[in-house]
Amino acid sequence: MRSRRTGDFSYSLAIGLLAAIGFLILVGPVVIVLLTSFTEGRSIRFPPSGLSTQWYQLLFDATSSRQIHRAALNSLQVAGATMIMATVLGTLASVALARRSGKWARALDTFFMWPMILPMLAFGLAALMYFTFLGLRPSLELIMIGHTIVVIPFVLRTTSASMSQLEPALLESSASLGASWFYTFRRVTLPMIAPGIIAGGFLAFVASLDNVPVSLFLTGPRSDMLPIRMWGMMESTLDVRVAAVSGVLIASVLVLMLVLERLVGLTRRLRD
Amino acid sequence: MTSRPYTRRKFLAASAVVGSGSLVWRPAYAKGSVTAAMYPGTWEEAYRTHVAPALKKAHNVDLGMTPLFAVDQIAKAQAARGTPPFDAFVLDPGPRVTGIERGLFEKFDPKRLTNVGKLPAGAVDEWGVTVAAQVVGIGYNPKKLPRPKGWEDLLKDPWLSRLGMTGFQTTFGTVSIIEIAKRFGGSETNVEPFFTEIKKVLPKVAAIGAPASMPALFQQGQCDVTYTNTQTVDTLKSRGVDIEFVKPESGAVTFFTTVHIAKGSKEIDNAYKYFDTVISTAVQTALMQPPNNFVPVNREVKLSVNLPMANLDEMSKFVRHDWSKINPLRAGWIERFNREVSK
Amino acid sequence: MSVAAAGVAKTPARGIATLAKPAEWQLALPLALAYAAFFLVPLLLLLAVSAFEDEKITVLGFANWRKFFGDPFYWKVTFDTVKLGFLTVIATTLIGYPIALVYLGSSPRWQRVILFIVILPLLTSVVVRTFAWIVILGREGVINQTVMWLGISPAPLRLLQTEVGLVMALTQIEMPLLLLPLLSVMSRMDPNLRDASAALGASKWRTLFKVTLPLSLPGLIAGCMLVFASSTTAFISQFVIGGNRLVYLPLLIWQQSLVVYNWPLASVAALTLLVSVSLGVVLIATLGRRSKGYVHA
Repeated sequence: MRSRRTGDFSYSLAIGLLAAIGFLILVGPVVIVLLTSFTEGRSIRFPPSGLSTQWYQLLFDATSSRQIHRAALNSLQVAGATMIMATVLGTLASVALARRSGKWARALDTFFMWPMILPMLAFGLAALMYFTFLGLRPSLELIMIGHTIVVIPFVLRTTSASMSQLEPALLESSASLGASWFYTFRRVTLPMIAPGIIAGGFLAFVASLDNVPVSLFLTGPRSDMLPIRMWGMMESTLDVRVAAVSGVLIASVLVLMLVLERLVGLTRRLRD
Repeated sequence: MTSRPYTRRKFLAASAVVGSGSLVWRPAYAKGSVTAAMYPGTWEEAYRTHVAPALKKAHNVDLGMTPLFAVDQIAKAQAARGTPPFDAFVLDPGPRVTGIERGLFEKFDPKRLTNVGKLPAGAVDEWGVTVAAQVVGIGYNPKKLPRPKGWEDLLKDPWLSRLGMTGFQTTFGTVSIIEIAKRFGGSETNVEPFFTEIKKVLPKVAAIGAPASMPALFQQGQCDVTYTNTQTVDTLKSRGVDIEFVKPESGAVTFFTTVHIAKGSKEIDNAYKYFDTVISTAVQTALMQPPNNFVPVNREVKLSVNLPMANLDEMSKFVRHDWSKINPLRAGWIERFNREVSK
Repeated sequence: MSVAAAGVAKTPARGIATLAKPAEWQLALPLALAYAAFFLVPLLLLLAVSAFEDEKITVLGFANWRKFFGDPFYWKVTFDTVKLGFLTVIATTLIGYPIALVYLGSSPRWQRVILFIVILPLLTSVVVRTFAWIVILGREGVINQTVMWLGISPAPLRLLQTEVGLVMALTQIEMPLLLLPLLSVMSRMDPNLRDASAALGASKWRTLFKVTLPLSLPGLIAGCMLVFASSTTAFISQFVIGGNRLVYLPLLIWQQSLVVYNWPLASVAALTLLVSVSLGVVLIATLGRRSKGYVHA
């Protein structure tokens, strides 16, 4: 009994300590970015010199940050479309593959991971060659397609992980009770794997929002993307608005989570 | 998402056929547009503020810009052989030579530029026109280090242990390393002495980083001396960074940034108008002012006191390089740099 | 499936439902078609380009393959890239799994807070995130100031542009990729199992290794695969934080394709990365299946 108690103590200590380091690593850089975004100074620098909201004001200024707004709008459009396409395609495929353990199913599963493994620079270059060959000009639609391909593995992995928890007996009993396939899918499968789908969709959204290499090759003159614009701002002028963009994004996701919580009980949905 | 250039172009072509000279409704961009590849950051910001309005006013032509680094422009144009995703390039000398070799440019006729007489000799050729000069030298933090005199100082203490280096990926990195090599007996085509010297001191070098991260590394005190150009130094200085430009004893280095018409472009006339606007006295003067800090190429522009020369003719004494000789060697140098610098 | 088919056969009235009912494997078709059209063809293009000898892509031959694989330096770069992936997976799991355990034992309110913290790194753009790591790892950075204040080391440690620093930065960046699949699986685990284990007198360590870990394995494996694939190809983080002192395959691909325009060699490097990282992913999947079988046995 005594050894069990020391064992439990060492468990709490070890897990607590590692988790604490984990939280520090997760939060530390974000705190630095946020503090930096409130600097009074003229360039992105840590520690910031004095606190002010001037960079946020400048970021929201309709005239001086017009290009940033347009790029942000483009990026949000692309990320939204990418998320929807990737979630639908990825979920269907993981439902198809989850309960098959045959050789070809496993091979297909690995193949579906490839876009993540192939460096995006190479994919961007190859995709541009291909689209040009088809006679297509760079546009937002092509960026959406390119992003969808590279973010699908996120959806596929998270939904397959949820699918593997699904009891096959549950689906079979639903079917044997006379439920149509679609009814079973909608009322049994989908709710059960919803956490995985939501997690995958979220990953797909932010991965698209932050993508530099694929966008670089597929952008045209009217399809300016936010991360590329930020890259230029950071590299040549250390513009503090780059940090302020992250501040805005963090604040909006916080608000979004609170709203979703109110509306649909997001965390309950993630739990039950 | 709503306005795609190709549909607009088709529309323009169609409306030109249908209603040339007649009383057909014409959109505001009646005279058309030109799409230019543009370096993201300072360049794009400055061209949007100064070149685009001037081009609209003088020729009623809209300037569209695709933010792309020099290297990406070549890759994009090459991948899209024949149907370039933009009408005009803006390039450093290395990629420029590659573009010529790979046949990515339309032939260029300097006579079609009205402002061509205001440029110094050698600013135009059969492939394009110079729109900006870059002056490369040493940038250092005067609060932390004594002033370095020349390139060789970078490999000596106290500078060496505070040195931030980049490799051969960028134009300014390549020319700077060549100049260091020259101080130790090398030449434009022989950077071996640089590798010999750097091997001896490698562990002491403060940072060997990505070019894009150098401003941040400098600002955060990771390194306090590096090779760079006047535009970067002036921009960082105006942002409150402690940095000063030094013209090395062996002379500052200069290279020209040029613009070119993409092979297969449908907007050749408008591209000439765009180039002509960029090199005009008014635009070149505006581009020289902070926060843009470009080095002008128009002789009528009165030079700012920040620049390390009194007039453009002085620049003929600055060190220049022949990129048609450097380009074939560069792949080997990059590979060598990878091997020597990584353990 | 066979039960369902039998059920349908017995009730011909539901013929429409039969028509509408896809065989499950067919659900993978849309994705397979999308991949064929927009991924496989570009990939084949890369393969085709790699089979040329010269930079202008005119002379057929395998000179670039021979150059790449005849050179120990490139073997080392490939090895380093895969190694970086595994180091990141280990570091992320070591620190991420305890976070998942803390999440599991928290009230719904705290779970929400933890979830928000977990996704924070994704909300800071890669551009500014790398700046934050320069601030943390730099010579005058947060860690070095702490170390020197504590008197652990008289001189600043070199963290930026070292493998240790890079793995640390990647751990933050890749943590959400590990935790999101892991948490979504963990949140569906039956808490009674753990309670039962504790009630039967198992220590917390024993419960962790005999109950929690096996049940959460699908999520952990999924997360590890994402972390491995993502960290081996994270070009911007690798280059900005690792600098030129650390050379990985994505840097080679960038230099060859965009700086010296040697696309054949870039394609060789890209395909090498694809194959070597695929092997890593397969290895992780196999380890996952093995340990699962072992646990159930």
